[in-house]
Amino acid sequence: MAPFDPDSFPIARGRTPMELGLDVRNVDSHAVVDVKGEIDVYTAPKLREKLIELVSEGSYNVVVNLEGVDFLDSTGLGVLVGALKRVKAHDGSLSLVCTQDKILKIFKITGLTKVFPIHSSVEEAAGGAA
Amino acid sequence: MRLAIGSLARASGLDEERVDDVRIAVSEACTNAVFTNEETGSDGPVTVAWVAHPDRIDVEVGDRGPTAADQPDVLDSQGFSSRLVMSVALLEELADELSFESRSGGGSLVRMSFRIPEAVA
Repeated sequence: MAPFDPDSFPIARGRTPMELGLDVRNVDSHAVVDVKGEIDVYTAPKLREKLIELVSEGSYNVVVNLEGVDFLDSTGLGVLVGALKRVKAHDGSLSLVCTQDKILKIFKITGLTKVFPIHSSVEEAAGGAA
Repeated sequence: MRLAIGSLARASGLDEERVDDVRIAVSEACTNAVFTNEETGSDGPVTVAWVAHPDRIDVEVGDRGPTAADQPDVLDSQGFSSRLVMSVALLEELADELSFESRSGGGSLVRMSFRIPEAVA
């Protein structure tokens, strides 16, 4: 088996380096985190810290908007599960916004669709009962 | 790395959904190897190697950490699966073939295959 040779594969298209964009806004007393980019082992800690920060500031009803997420793996799932536990400890809630099949698939395979409320819009997520 | 394996998968004729599957599966295996190294203090490299066959893509991800970990705790105290268990669930679902082996000289090897459907005439 040939070892990986980075020069032997053309890069498909120019990409910015792995970055994670996080914006937080308030919608109907829910803290909405708009995530953009790829959530993997290198960027997941940034999301984790932001979610910890929100809970420590007293935001216990959180919506994580995954519509801008291009990639999600088990490290991202682990961060979301950790955040769910944290808000639940304060009788809070954590729901997700996701309509992308490729991301929903990951939640389905791991059984997390039974664990997280998943909505098709931020308005729907924030409008529901906390 | 995901860019390179994704490009290969696409060039091999896999559709976009399958290309995403390959990227996730290979990423999962690499992440597990990285965590194994970190948790055990190993500084050996994580290696990724692949071969594109006409009918499938074979990928191997290896680490030089201690021999494959014992079965991880399936559920934590609150009933959630550990990250590793979720990762393995993803690997099993997304790869057409999957195996975990110990390597001589120490470390683990994850082998996976992704079948390439025959081109529609």
